[in-house]
Amino acid sequence: MFAYLVRRVGQAMAVVIGVSIIVFFLMHLLPGGERALLGARATPVQVHAFVVANGLNHPIWVQYVDYMGQLLHGNLGYSYHYNESVNSLLAANIPKSALLVGVSVVIALLIALPLGVIQAVRRNSPVDYVFTGASFVGYSMPVFWLGIVLIGWFALDLHWFPAEAPQGAGVGAAFSQPRAMVLPVATLVVVNVALFSRYVRSAALDNLVQDYIRTARAKGIPERVVLLRHMLRNSLIPVVTILGLSMPFIFSGALIVESVFNYPGMGLLFWNAAQIHDYPILVGGTLVVSTAAVVGSLLADLAYAALDPRVRYV
Amino acid sequence: MTEAQRVECTSLLRVDGLKTEIRQRHATIRAIDGVSFSVAQGETVGLVGESGSGKTMTGLSIIGLLPPGGRVVGGRILFLGQDLARLPARAMRAVRGSGIGVVFQDPMTSLNPCMTIGDQIVEPIRAHRESDRKAARRRALELLDLVGVPQAKERLKDYPHQLSGGLRQRVMIAIALSCDPKLLIADEPTTALDVTIQSEILELLGRLKAALSMSMLLITHDLGVIAGHADRVIVMYAGRIVEEANASELFAQTRHPYTGALLASIPEVDEGTDRVLYSIPGVPPDLSQDRQGCAFAPRCDRATGRCEVDDPQLEGCADHSAACFNPLTTEEGSGRSPMHAVAVEPRRPPPSSADKRAPLLVVDHVVKTYPVTTGVLRRRIGAVNAVSDVSFTMTQGETLGLVGESGCGKTTLGKMIVALERPDAGSIVFDGIDLTKQSNRATRTMRRNFQLIFQDPYSSLDPRMRVGPALREPMVINAIGNGVSRDRRITELLGDVGLSKEAVRYYPHEFSGGQRQRIGFARALTLSPRLIVADEPVSALDVSIRSQLLNLIKRLQEAHELTYLVISHDLSVVRYLADRIGVMYLGKLVEIGTCEQVYGRPAHPYTAGLLAAVPIPDPARERAKRRIPVNGELPSARNPPSGCRFRTRCPRAQERCTVEEPVLQAVSGTDHQAACHFPLVATDVGKSAQRDGSRAFGSDGA
Amino acid sequence: MATTRDPLATRALVERTAAPEGGEAVASRGIWRVILDVFLQNRLAVVGVGIVVFFLLFCFVGPLIYRTTQVVTNLTLIHLAPSSQHLLGTDADGYDELGRLMVGGQTSLEVGLAAAVVATLWGTLWGAVAGFVGGAVDAVMMRIVDSVLAIPPIFLLLFLATAFTPSVSMLIFVVAFVSWVIPARLVRGESLSLRSRDFILAVRGMGSRDRRLVLRHILPNAVGPMIVYATFAVADAILLVAALSFLGLGIPPPAANWGEMLSNGLNYIADGWWWLVYPAGLCIVLVVVAFNFIGDALRDAVEVRLQRR
Repeated sequence: MFAYLVRRVGQAMAVVIGVSIIVFFLMHLLPGGERALLGARATPVQVHAFVVANGLNHPIWVQYVDYMGQLLHGNLGYSYHYNESVNSLLAANIPKSALLVGVSVVIALLIALPLGVIQAVRRNSPVDYVFTGASFVGYSMPVFWLGIVLIGWFALDLHWFPAEAPQGAGVGAAFSQPRAMVLPVATLVVVNVALFSRYVRSAALDNLVQDYIRTARAKGIPERVVLLRHMLRNSLIPVVTILGLSMPFIFSGALIVESVFNYPGMGLLFWNAAQIHDYPILVGGTLVVSTAAVVGSLLADLAYAALDPRVRYV
Repeated sequence: MTEAQRVECTSLLRVDGLKTEIRQRHATIRAIDGVSFSVAQGETVGLVGESGSGKTMTGLSIIGLLPPGGRVVGGRILFLGQDLARLPARAMRAVRGSGIGVVFQDPMTSLNPCMTIGDQIVEPIRAHRESDRKAARRRALELLDLVGVPQAKERLKDYPHQLSGGLRQRVMIAIALSCDPKLLIADEPTTALDVTIQSEILELLGRLKAALSMSMLLITHDLGVIAGHADRVIVMYAGRIVEEANASELFAQTRHPYTGALLASIPEVDEGTDRVLYSIPGVPPDLSQDRQGCAFAPRCDRATGRCEVDDPQLEGCADHSAACFNPLTTEEGSGRSPMHAVAVEPRRPPPSSADKRAPLLVVDHVVKTYPVTTGVLRRRIGAVNAVSDVSFTMTQGETLGLVGESGCGKTTLGKMIVALERPDAGSIVFDGIDLTKQSNRATRTMRRNFQLIFQDPYSSLDPRMRVGPALREPMVINAIGNGVSRDRRITELLGDVGLSKEAVRYYPHEFSGGQRQRIGFARALTLSPRLIVADEPVSALDVSIRSQLLNLIKRLQEAHELTYLVISHDLSVVRYLADRIGVMYLGKLVEIGTCEQVYGRPAHPYTAGLLAAVPIPDPARERAKRRIPVNGELPSARNPPSGCRFRTRCPRAQERCTVEEPVLQAVSGTDHQAACHFPLVATDVGKSAQRDGSRAFGSDGA
Repeated sequence: MATTRDPLATRALVERTAAPEGGEAVASRGIWRVILDVFLQNRLAVVGVGIVVFFLLFCFVGPLIYRTTQVVTNLTLIHLAPSSQHLLGTDADGYDELGRLMVGGQTSLEVGLAAAVVATLWGTLWGAVAGFVGGAVDAVMMRIVDSVLAIPPIFLLLFLATAFTPSVSMLIFVVAFVSWVIPARLVRGESLSLRSRDFILAVRGMGSRDRRLVLRHILPNAVGPMIVYATFAVADAILLVAALSFLGLGIPPPAANWGEMLSNGLNYIADGWWWLVYPAGLCIVLVVVAFNFIGDALRDAVEVRLQRR
């Protein structure tokens, strides 16, 4: 088990380093990188001074090593647009995004698990068709459209919830305006339920035909126990893995939701940075989000090990 | 059990006109089509048939656990006065696990991988009996002891993957018996297990059945298992019962031609290779089609016009009935293999091993280990000794059988001989050329001389390639012949393996398992190889198809002057095909000799135990057979026992076996070698085996 | 040793029955027929094909019948509600909405299909090379895949989109760049599992070189899963392009695509101009659902081909 853990952490670190290389080289291969860093109005002299000051005249791998050195000291760079270090910008925005993603993933799981199981157990019944169809549609909807439609119905027509997410810095703002959180969370929940329930359904279908389910039924225990104690737990194993691998997609959805509802989190920051070509934020943000995704799949693997004794006792 | 006794006992289970259908995508399969039988208190009824006969569906219908699409559409299933076919779900649950216990075929998949053994045994106890957790736990412990799981207390906390197949099946039995069921349904309980483990499990089942005064429905394809353990036997074919009789009666006085043919198609472990095995032509019927007349008629050589029109009903006395218009006469049906008369043909004499020709293949001190790694850097923490210092030689034209249980290294050895794996040490010399020393390119050009036949006919052919191109491919790769000559060769070979030349137009999925195995042989033969390594060539096939293939394998040997290395766990198959036998255990060759020597006078205790464990399809001999125990479970190949690897399971093991590794040495005559410090001599165990053997040969003349 | 060779004796056994001893094959329809059959049995898939065909006609034949101008803005005609003149009204630039849906759909479908094909082909090549070469090359190639996969696609898209001037071909490249990793993983996994299959061993045992194994056996067997993946990839690509347009990084006007139209229309949700909000969204949902239906059914159908055992 310990060896498995160590190996898994090692792999995760390799992936994070890989991400840093890809992002770093992409940025430097982009046309006019340093000009982009300073803004379009920079004079050639300013650019030259900047290049020398930041070691941009060194070979690219030297620059990468420098950059990584900075990273290892926890320095993600400096945003010239906000005149603030990327670190503090991210630190201010990440908690709110984490809250949004965390709450909606938990709610989505609580809905998707029973839903997927019901679909599998009632396979090819009207119930299954309706929910499967609904999850197909949910999965096929552009996230931003869903968000706007929800705003149209619940904020503009019915006036149940505000159209804009809680503003103000810090996680506290979200708690002080819980009603404003409803629509952004609901949007992400719908998308994620559509995604998760398909996985749960197929995992449950796979498990329902397994021999040990037949054994459990042959014991004469109630069907509810067969499903909950035997099938659900075994179905969770593949679902958890896929969940870990879906983290990048969940984060993508969160970015769009933040843009739609003007939710001041990491995604909004990133989007704004993209519009004004603020590369330090883009690079730092991509690194942090990717690392979070890698950590997410690492946690999923740990959960996997906790669920599956075959992994635990190797 | 006599007729009088049976009338005395009330019948526990009565199945009456049972009809079960399975609805599939395109068709409805009539899996069971009017089956009636009963199981009396304390009786073991054997339900025997090939795949698709409806035997398993019968068991699943009784406990109401049919696969999706399956449904009982007619008849009654009376168990203790209740009709199970019409019982509401809740009442049915009360019967399952409590009134009826079930043991399924595959212990590897039948236990929940995420739950401890203890929890899984406790579950039915708490559902039906004890609500007290502690008491249920105690009962679980008791049960594990009862089914012979060592260190039961520690095992309770184990997960299934930590136990071997044999132990898992014992756990399954403990679960089935947890609430003292009146009826135990054992569906192929030992098919997935090694033969030595099989005999232990069967014995355990028999013992427990008697001790707990249960009835048992033993469902199996193996007539040998039935012969040893059933009081009464029901033979099924195509969803119907074709014959039903007391066990001894059935084997001694077979009535139905199908039963007779089935018995005649089984090669026996104590029988020589000097006859052509009877084989039932054709394939079982498609159960989704309407049937008319007797389902077996198209394959039956006694069929008359009436058989194709009218439906035969079970007829006869309570002791023995058969559904046939032209049953075998007393004369034909008696004798061990009733159909012998049909197909006895003289066989070629086996090549004498005294033949002083240069050997075709010399395997010399071959070693193959697979590393076991761990950690970030894949640090090597050990090695599995798949093949450990094995040597033997083969001469042109002979058949060497290699037998052993799972994990003994026989498959790895086979792959090394056809150069699909490279040994770590030792040499494999084929026709004077050391394969282990060849470059990749040289090996490639050598390959046409030796071909491998695979066990699973479903995965050995490319599903995307028609049979024609698949057969042409080896010749294309090796640049043999031109278009015309290749096609001619393919037609010729298809004829040789008993397929029509039309086969070239079809894809593999359009053939049955037996046909695909024939195609596999045709493909191997396109290159005119000299050596064919056949790895479990018939173990995926049903009895009636298996005998067709066995005969084909022999016929091809004569027609194409082949040398065979036949690898199998099935001792009777190997006996039927081989001239010489090698026995492997945990990567070691423990005994080698001619068939007569190894089967008649086994010198290694493992060989003797293995032979004794093979069930013989004849109740009289099977029950009279002396048991030679091979105790316990197979040790891990990662940490094989010191000295003699078999010592942990050997009844004769002594101090010396722990410290000193025995080497192969001659026991009786130079050809017969065994690796044992205390080999058995004829007076020990050979006597009983020999007695059986001589009787077998004696009755052969009939 | 003299082997008795009497072909007649062995033949005799064969010819006892008229049919060959092994019996004939049970002719089922060809593999593609079986796949088609299973596919057509899935009603949702048929609906999906219907929708895709409809939209292809709508986008590529529609403009020939329903003629509108989509290049010149006409500020006298902005924000008109649906009428007999403009069946779905007009937008903020005075373009006819229905006509714009047709033209915009061309771009969405083209980009979606092209990006899916490029991503699948490149990913297949990458995965196949990694799987066959193995060893260190495989390890490096797959770590690259893992890394790209770890970057949330929208973040990567934004990153790339800031750097490149948007155009149709750039959009295809950018979307393909974030999507090629999944087929790469799939193909590598598939080829590794195929490599250990018996039929591959059998062909190797006949003396085949690796090239033949790959070209004649492994690739044909990997085609099915790849087609399935490509179908899903079309759906994902259309969604990605739409998202990118919403985020303001799509193709600039007057070129149109559904995502662009939708995100423009969303500004007017408060004004009750539903024709600018729902039709474009519905088009995207329908086409994406259709491709997902097709992909789902194809996956079942491809798995079914080996079912008869």
